[in-house]
Amino acid sequence: MQAESGPILVVSSVSKRFGGLLALDSVSFEVNRGEIFSVIGPNGAGKTTLFSCLVGAQRPTTGSVRFKGEELSGLRNDEVVVRGLVRTHQIVKPFRDLTVADNVRVGVLYGRLRLRGAKARERVDEVLTRTQLGTRASVKAGVLSIGELKRLEIARALATGPDVLCLDEVMGGLNPAEIQQAMALVRALRDSGLTLLMIEHHVHAVAGLSDRLVVLNFGKKIAEGRPAEALREPAVVAAYLGHESKEETRA
Amino acid sequence: MTAVLRRHPMLPVGVAFGAFLLLAPVFAERGTENDLWNMSFFLVLAAAWNLLGGFAGQVSLGYSAFVGIGAYTTVLLAKAGWSPWLTLPVGAALAAAFSVVVGLPTFRLRGPYFTIATIGVGEAVRVIASGLDFTGGSSGLRMPAGTFDFTANYYAMVGLALVTLALVAWLTQHAFGLALEAIRQDIDGAEALGVNSTQVKLQAHAISSALVAVAGGLFATNFQYISPGSVFDFRLSLTIVLMPIVGGMGTLTGPVLGAMLFSYLQIKLLASPALRDSYLFIYGGLLIVVMLFEPKGILGLWERLIALWARRRPEQPVAEARRAS
Repeated sequence: MQAESGPILVVSSVSKRFGGLLALDSVSFEVNRGEIFSVIGPNGAGKTTLFSCLVGAQRPTTGSVRFKGEELSGLRNDEVVVRGLVRTHQIVKPFRDLTVADNVRVGVLYGRLRLRGAKARERVDEVLTRTQLGTRASVKAGVLSIGELKRLEIARALATGPDVLCLDEVMGGLNPAEIQQAMALVRALRDSGLTLLMIEHHVHAVAGLSDRLVVLNFGKKIAEGRPAEALREPAVVAAYLGHESKEETRA
Repeated sequence: MTAVLRRHPMLPVGVAFGAFLLLAPVFAERGTENDLWNMSFFLVLAAAWNLLGGFAGQVSLGYSAFVGIGAYTTVLLAKAGWSPWLTLPVGAALAAAFSVVVGLPTFRLRGPYFTIATIGVGEAVRVIASGLDFTGGSSGLRMPAGTFDFTANYYAMVGLALVTLALVAWLTQHAFGLALEAIRQDIDGAEALGVNSTQVKLQAHAISSALVAVAGGLFATNFQYISPGSVFDFRLSLTIVLMPIVGGMGTLTGPVLGAMLFSYLQIKLLASPALRDSYLFIYGGLLIVVMLFEPKGILGLWERLIALWARRRPEQPVAEARRAS
């Protein structure tokens, strides 16, 4: 194990090429322990591809991902999960024919904790309570509402016992009340010692939650820093809203 | 005891079924015993295949390879002077080893591509067995004299069928079964939660192929003669797949129902000269009907009937309540 100090996750010059498309262009950043760190950017900026490359669901074309001092590139998704780095999916991936509790149980049994018996049952109950799914435990996942499915994604990832939890647009499609709930959950998770990496479109949520963020556009990092400052940078404003007319005149 | 019953509600039925099979030699005629042996043989193949094909959703059309490996191991070692019983674990080990060798490359493929690859593997094994000298080529091999003992073979096959069912029931009630389910429903989702899908698939493949190979070894002792056309036949692979599909894939009882139906059909069809050569048409037709109307097989049909019945029952109190208000 690496020392407790220093960044928990170091992403260095990660690129991902799909044929002629450079989805990620040499992206680098560091995430500290206990931070809420956001990755934002317009649609197609490469945010989800970045998450896939972090957890081993896809292999970066070049670059390195170091987690707790260990190089992750080349490892499979399940090997990364067992080391304590897990992600949720923007397009939810529930096991629809399994109950909500069994969905969570997969993470408990096969994630980093690999609990069995009574300890596994306790962990399942604990995770369901934290994500407010306790009353839905014995319902088939296929019948859940979108808000519940988003919480189930978090619950399943949480069940694996991660150090770093990557949330891919867990607030997408939620109503304002549910977004408030989700924000409270994210804060509670951080307070319990987790490090959070978030992809989020909801600017209010990003600004209100994140300690720091990076902004991606066309696979490139165009800004980094505290939300209030980074969101004001001209390149970021331009990426979201388009260029102002005087910027279009070339020097 | 009640906890066990709650976990396995089918246990009393299974015990009664097992007791019936084990006691059959006491009251049944030899012909009936033959039929029950046949059903038990198919039951092992169907239930073992179902572990990988039904629960984990990895549809393999190459399982005759494992029947054949078990059968050929038994005959070859028996010819070398081994007791046929001692050959069974060797056949199981060889089949499990072969399943890993085949699984490592083919489990990288998904869905229909995996299925197509397994057809290739099964056929390759048949062609190789037909071409080699020590396997007797396409004319096959005969067991040495004095190895035939129907009663012992009957108990062994029935015992194997019951062990297979108990093992599948046990595995699918524990963590391993949940991993198989997760892989079937969403393999990427399973991996994202830490399931090493390749390892789980290899384990399921190895367990089921070992069971199938033991059945193949008992088959060889019972029929005393094997050839690539009998144990490496693609039609055997097809039958192995059809039984769980018709009975109900990914369930404990589905393959049992499938094996009962198929062994019954086989007896009826083989007894009738007009239908003897057309049994594949009938199997194929059955498959199409099941896929079109009840993809969950006989069990799905049964559940549907239960649901219909349950819906009709409470109508009376509802009607009374309506009248009262």
